[in-house]
Amino acid sequence: MIAVALDETVDDVLPWVEGVTLPVLIDREHVLSELYAISNVPAVVWIDEDDRIALPNSVAFATDMFKEFTGAAAGPHLDALRAWVRDGTLSITDDDARAAVADLSDDEVRARLHFRIAVAARRDGDTPTALRHFERAGELAPMDFTIRRAAMPLIGQDPFGTDFMDLYQQWEAAGSPFHGLAPMAD
Amino acid sequence: MATITIIAEDTNTVTGEIVDGHVLLDPDVLPDALGFALKPEGLCRDDTCVPVRDRSSLFSGDRLDIAAVAAALHRPSVVDAAAGIVAVALDRERRRAALQGLVAPEFTLPDLVGTPRSLSEWRGQKRLLHAFSSW
Repeated sequence: MIAVALDETVDDVLPWVEGVTLPVLIDREHVLSELYAISNVPAVVWIDEDDRIALPNSVAFATDMFKEFTGAAAGPHLDALRAWVRDGTLSITDDDARAAVADLSDDEVRARLHFRIAVAARRDGDTPTALRHFERAGELAPMDFTIRRAAMPLIGQDPFGTDFMDLYQQWEAAGSPFHGLAPMAD
Repeated sequence: MATITIIAEDTNTVTGEIVDGHVLLDPDVLPDALGFALKPEGLCRDDTCVPVRDRSSLFSGDRLDIAAVAAALHRPSVVDAAAGIVAVALDRERRRAALQGLVAPEFTLPDLVGTPRSLSEWRGQKRLLHAFSSW
């Protein structure tokens, strides 16, 4: 497994990877959110020996910690993963895999550009510029957690608090849109 | 002259000019800024050149407008001239080809001690790419 944190600093990531010996990379500019059309985390992609995407962006958890909140139990994905690792078993067709992840819209791409300018300005200590670009990014991609939720700790909001709960309710009301496959059924 | 930060595949800082909300660069600086050089064949990087239909559209006087260069490369950009920061998106064909062809795009990102690691290091093995976050 290659774990990639869409985070601003190594210090943000460290508490989450204590004891982890697998490669952990940091993606400050959210390159992967653009390259792989990722709009929420966790996003899991199965890549085979020949760089083929066996299973595209999926919501999957290693434990049932979030099962009640997200409806996603860990078991089905882990079972499917083991079967794939063991003998290449895949239950998704190529056509379904291609259809699973819609391309980013122009607005979603621009949102990512504004987000990058925002974090750069913030690192420079230019708060007004940063806030302006975080806001514009959120207007362009209001349902994208790699934009909206990722910005929260950078603008003094709590990504686990009421601001996030408001966002989550809006997102559910909009049909829980994201670029990828919903959790595998129990 | 102003310090311009250009965020593309890499983040680079170059010297340029800000005129009426436009970020203008000396053509000699373009390779440092964006990794491309303007040659007779077009905008070139390594062995490939992107032909430019109307070269004059890239220029404001004798300087290159970074937004026009990005557009000629078919890469969306956002320019904050006042802040001197420009963000340029990837060529969207890279992403489209990956999504349609189901081929995992290569990337290079630093690990937690700053060592660059690439997806291709693990070619030949099944891999799970797990994007996560502290938020």
